[in-house]
Amino acid sequence: MPPELTDPADALAAVAALRRLADQLEEAAVEQAMRDGWSWPEVAEALGITRQAVHKKHAKRLIEAGVSLRRR
Amino acid sequence: MAAIDHYLNSVIQQARLEAFDDGSATLEACHLLLGIAVVGENTELIAAGLGYDQIRAALREEFEHSLQTVGVSAAVYHLPKPTRVGDPPTTLGASAKLAFDRGFARARTKKDLRPVHLLLGILQAEIGTVPRALALAGFDRPALIARLAGDAA
Repeated sequence: MPPELTDPADALAAVAALRRLADQLEEAAVEQAMRDGWSWPEVAEALGITRQAVHKKHAKRLIEAGVSLRRR
Repeated sequence: MAAIDHYLNSVIQQARLEAFDDGSATLEACHLLLGIAVVGENTELIAAGLGYDQIRAALREEFEHSLQTVGVSAAVYHLPKPTRVGDPPTTLGASAKLAFDRGFARARTKKDLRPVHLLLGILQAEIGTVPRALALAGFDRPALIARLAGDAA
């Protein structure tokens, strides 16, 4: 069990670190899913966001990375 | 272009690469500090034991420590590192803007601006990733500021 958070500085730093970790994890997980043949709608549904949002955020990077993307 | 402009430009270019490597969409104060450690006037940093590797290690420790306070371990994820392509970020994040503001405020005019002012601007932050990382790693930030402030006067 982590110690109880009483210092707001620790709590705020944890928020910043969690956001960073979530971003890193999302980038890695979306790339792995697309390399494994997932479609944009499937990835979007798994993340709980729209297909347009996930496409806008990740498509350019994945295309430049040479990942072959399924259209649907 | 004045020498200080060349200096700031080279630090920013290196900081952009550091931000890119971190997967950060913005360039933050920690990236500027790493930029100074690589291409900047880093004599005082090195004298204080703050070389590039030490700063990187301190930032990593701060990240892991902050996650641990809410029971999360960064080490449990074993996904491959995402591919980094495209251009490094150019947008200054809030912490970098504050570092520039604080550093520039120490110079009377732009003509007086020197490399030490940017370093002081970064180190003066009392809140945020850089001061937490340096404190956790046991670095005496106030003492470093005091030494640098003498140089900047």
